[in-house]
Amino acid sequence: MRKYLTIFKISFQQEFAYRLNFVLWRVRNVLQIFIAFFLWNTIFSDPGRVVFGYDRAKILTYIFGLIIIRAIVLSSRAIDIAGEVSRGDLTNQLLRPMGYIKYWFTRDLSSKALNLIFSVFEASILFLIFKPQFFFQTNFLLFFLFLTSLVIAVILFFFLMFIANMLPLWLPDQPWGMSFLLFIFTDFLGGGVFPLDILPSYITKIIYLTPFPYLLFMPLQIYLGKLDLITSFNSILIGTVWVIVLALGTKVVWSQGLKSYGAVGR
Amino acid sequence: MKKLIKYLHLWWMMSKNSFVMVFYSKAALVIFLTGKILRFGFFVIFLIFLLKGTNSLAGYNLNQTLFFFLTYTIVDTLSQFLFREVYRFRPQIISGDFDLTLSKPISALFRSLLGGADVIDLITVPPLIYALIYVGAMLHPTLFQIFIYIILLLSGLLIATAFHIAVLSLAILSLEIDHAVMIYRDIVSLGRFPTDIYKEPLRGVLTYLVPVGLMVTLPAQFLIGLVTFQGVLVSFLVCAVFLFASVSLWKFALRYYTSASS
Repeated sequence: MRKYLTIFKISFQQEFAYRLNFVLWRVRNVLQIFIAFFLWNTIFSDPGRVVFGYDRAKILTYIFGLIIIRAIVLSSRAIDIAGEVSRGDLTNQLLRPMGYIKYWFTRDLSSKALNLIFSVFEASILFLIFKPQFFFQTNFLLFFLFLTSLVIAVILFFFLMFIANMLPLWLPDQPWGMSFLLFIFTDFLGGGVFPLDILPSYITKIIYLTPFPYLLFMPLQIYLGKLDLITSFNSILIGTVWVIVLALGTKVVWSQGLKSYGAVGR
Repeated sequence: MKKLIKYLHLWWMMSKNSFVMVFYSKAALVIFLTGKILRFGFFVIFLIFLLKGTNSLAGYNLNQTLFFFLTYTIVDTLSQFLFREVYRFRPQIISGDFDLTLSKPISALFRSLLGGADVIDLITVPPLIYALIYVGAMLHPTLFQIFIYIILLLSGLLIATAFHIAVLSLAILSLEIDHAVMIYRDIVSLGRFPTDIYKEPLRGVLTYLVPVGLMVTLPAQFLIGLVTFQGVLVSFLVCAVFLFASVSLWKFALRYYTSASS
């Protein structure tokens, strides 16, 4: 456990090595929120308007909630795995006395901690500038379920990233193609660009069968109280099932991939 | 004229090499092409269902909103097709490989800006143009509006060129930034929707300071018939100022290139 704590600390410090880069990364996140905020702000310019089951307060809470939840769920260092495999640097890691999957999960947590601090700061500044109406969840049980769904989302995204970044074990010249695809699915099918329930139910029913809605959309739905208790439990249950499936998938991909690993670049 | 032909020939040679490299890695071609098509498709689906629910966005109907998005996409895609090499520039500065570009008897700016056209983006251009014509025709523009729209699109592309030159210059001036081109992309993506949805002072910034509005919103607005000829002239003026400023910045930055790691 102590060695992973040390990895956490080192990884945290590494983020500060390129400070300007990190700040610009955060600027990019804020810009993405700008589009969503102004889009929905225009649609809900009439404060009494209710569209797609959202009123102004709930949709703006969704947008501001995205800043925080994206930082918690989508901040990840696991995206560097593919590059490490492509360059053959994985060989060095395999010789070290630590679990490779645990190592990257620890680095992910470190990245999330730093991004969370910054995102809270950004959200506070934007909140002061735009002064949006905000929906506070006062139901303790729903809030607890929201936190649980967040934990599941963090683990789910890690496994998705890990599997996507294993592609260079078979195709060493493909360091980040699968991550590119994964981010597109996460953004659109995960609710990162728009709330999924603006789509007709025959489409959302299919999307809910994939792991993506359980990354951003479902935690926010639980927070906003748009799901009743039973549906919230079900959502957490489906997320958990996906975690188990992807954990098993990660094991299989990792063990099979290592057999194909040729340490290209070494 | 001779010089222009020489550079066109060079561009074709460099592009051919770049295309061959992409076709060599078929998995990359499939993955990135699929990703780009999916991203485009998802966004169109989003716009269709959004406008079905709200009827209008900042006063624009579905066809008009789609046309704004398509105009943004064509400018963005063409600039990615032409200027993909910009994304690979920073590692050359860090490693000192930029020395090799400087030592060649061609413009270093030309090589760094246009040296690696992206065939994946090129593949998506014809269907995009078809979609643009299809949706644009539903807005019933006059021939004159279509002509000025095309001119404004070219002006938008020139502003995009200026931004890419500025990104190259920044890579020389500061080794710390590797997100600059992505920040440019994020800012331009504010033009996916008509800039009317943004409030002041952001709307002003997007019109004059970072003229996303002039790049993508203004051409579409002209085709719809919402812009006077005065607005068109402002667009050309801003385009000229941005090009001049970015080329000056490039010349200034070159003086600070230290060839550090070579």
